[in-house]
Amino acid sequence: MTEGQRGRLYTTVAILSVPIFLVMWEIVSRSHIVNAVLFPPPTVVAVALWEWIESGQFAVDLLASVARVAAGFVLGSIAGIVFGILTGQFPLFSAFLGPIFHLLRPIPPIAFVPIVILWFGLSESGKIFLVFWGVFFTVWLSAHLGVQKVDRGLIRAAQMLGTPRRRLLGEIIFLGALPYIVVGLRTAVSISFYTLVAAELAGAFSGIVYRIEIAQQNMQTGQVLGGLVALGLISFLADRGFAAVSQRAVWWR
Amino acid sequence: MTLQPKNEFAGSLGGTPTEQLSAKAVEIDVSDVSIVFNSRKGSVVAVDRVSFQVRHGEFVCLLGPSGCGKSTLLNAIAGFERPYDGEVRVLGKAVTAPGPDRGMVFQQPLLFPWKSVRSNIAHGPVMLGKSRAEVAKIADGLIDMIGLTRFADAYPHTLSGGMQQRVSIARALANRPGILLMDEPFGALDAQTRIIMQENLLRLWSEFGTTIVFVTHDIEEAIYLADRVLVMSASPGQILRTIDVGLPRPRSPGLLLEPEFTLLKGECFALIKQQSQLAFEQMGAR
Repeated sequence: MTEGQRGRLYTTVAILSVPIFLVMWEIVSRSHIVNAVLFPPPTVVAVALWEWIESGQFAVDLLASVARVAAGFVLGSIAGIVFGILTGQFPLFSAFLGPIFHLLRPIPPIAFVPIVILWFGLSESGKIFLVFWGVFFTVWLSAHLGVQKVDRGLIRAAQMLGTPRRRLLGEIIFLGALPYIVVGLRTAVSISFYTLVAAELAGAFSGIVYRIEIAQQNMQTGQVLGGLVALGLISFLADRGFAAVSQRAVWWR
Repeated sequence: MTLQPKNEFAGSLGGTPTEQLSAKAVEIDVSDVSIVFNSRKGSVVAVDRVSFQVRHGEFVCLLGPSGCGKSTLLNAIAGFERPYDGEVRVLGKAVTAPGPDRGMVFQQPLLFPWKSVRSNIAHGPVMLGKSRAEVAKIADGLIDMIGLTRFADAYPHTLSGGMQQRVSIARALANRPGILLMDEPFGALDAQTRIIMQENLLRLWSEFGTTIVFVTHDIEEAIYLADRVLVMSASPGQILRTIDVGLPRPRSPGLLLEPEFTLLKGECFALIKQQSQLAFEQMGAR
């Protein structure tokens, strides 16, 4: 086989991969090897998804979930960047906050669900807080390390030119660390979806994961799987969207 | 690569207080300065009781083997290092922090990677609160002077090392500092580029009338550029001898072939050779 033939073969297989997977799934589900009620075929999932969208409920759920993720992500990112710059630049901040953050960071955010329910009830702020909590430590760590990687020479050059302290932090150090911060932010996008799942499972009145849970209680397995497909798609789009944005965020590269 | 000095422009940047100084006035006064570095392994004396003065408009080179503390001394004048003992005074005022009255060109260009050539050069004047029109005038004038008009909107990483270092010099001059501190600025450039950069620097210096303290380990570079060469010893750094160059100006690379130049070079070489040997042995002993 020539190089070109091999390339075409791989492309063809890649294009066929998902359709073959779906067809096999369909066959297995309808063949009574497994219980079709528990393991519905993709056609049933597609119908469930379509009904969800058509009823208008999908838009409501989508909006609720995206709003939680967005609010938690934005707040967590801002706090993470601000604290990362402070601990990265000032040893005193680092000496005080570093041990505390390193102590809290390894606790999976999901483990905070019970206490968050006690603190916030089933309100939106509790869910946003969980996402915030998950996002914060990742962004903080990347900003902290990014600041420490900023060339000290750049800071000296800025000082020599008369840059005031505030501009030094907000411009020179922030932009110097931005390539690292952006990597942390991208990781935080997927983390914010993990924590969203925990937040909505803990109790909500709308949202993609809430819908999955309700469907499970009603034995609507098609709807359950449809919800998972929707969640996967949204998370994928958010990641890709963020990747595109981050390319532009570091505009000088 | 050409630098096009423009008399009207250099003048139009406006005078700093140093402009009114007579040529003989002492601008930098380093008196009895010692600098000590503390590390876990103990204290190292980098600069040992060094004293010298630089007069307004003078071009002084600090020449010494690597690791002799000449960059440390320059950093003390810049305000990045605090002397352990002694004092650095600029125009009679003790130096405690870096400031826009002392422009600095580092061994690496250290340009802000997120800023274009123009914005890099404009950074200082913007920080000093100059009006938009003034900033534009200063930046455009300097871009013209360093011959990078075509690259005004380019980002640093797209430029060669020599071009980046020209931007770095222009950036340091943009605040119209009375003093320009240069820390082996051409050390990372190839030999051909270095010769052109040295020539251009001399031209800029005569245009701006800035006092320059220039650190190098290159004997020819020191003699070619300086009015006075301060030869430093191996660590701990002390000033071994001050050599008055006294070669006529304007200077051109042809000077390197003159017998007077060779004589001075021989004098420096004898001093440096001994000190480099010392420095070499120190490094082996570490």
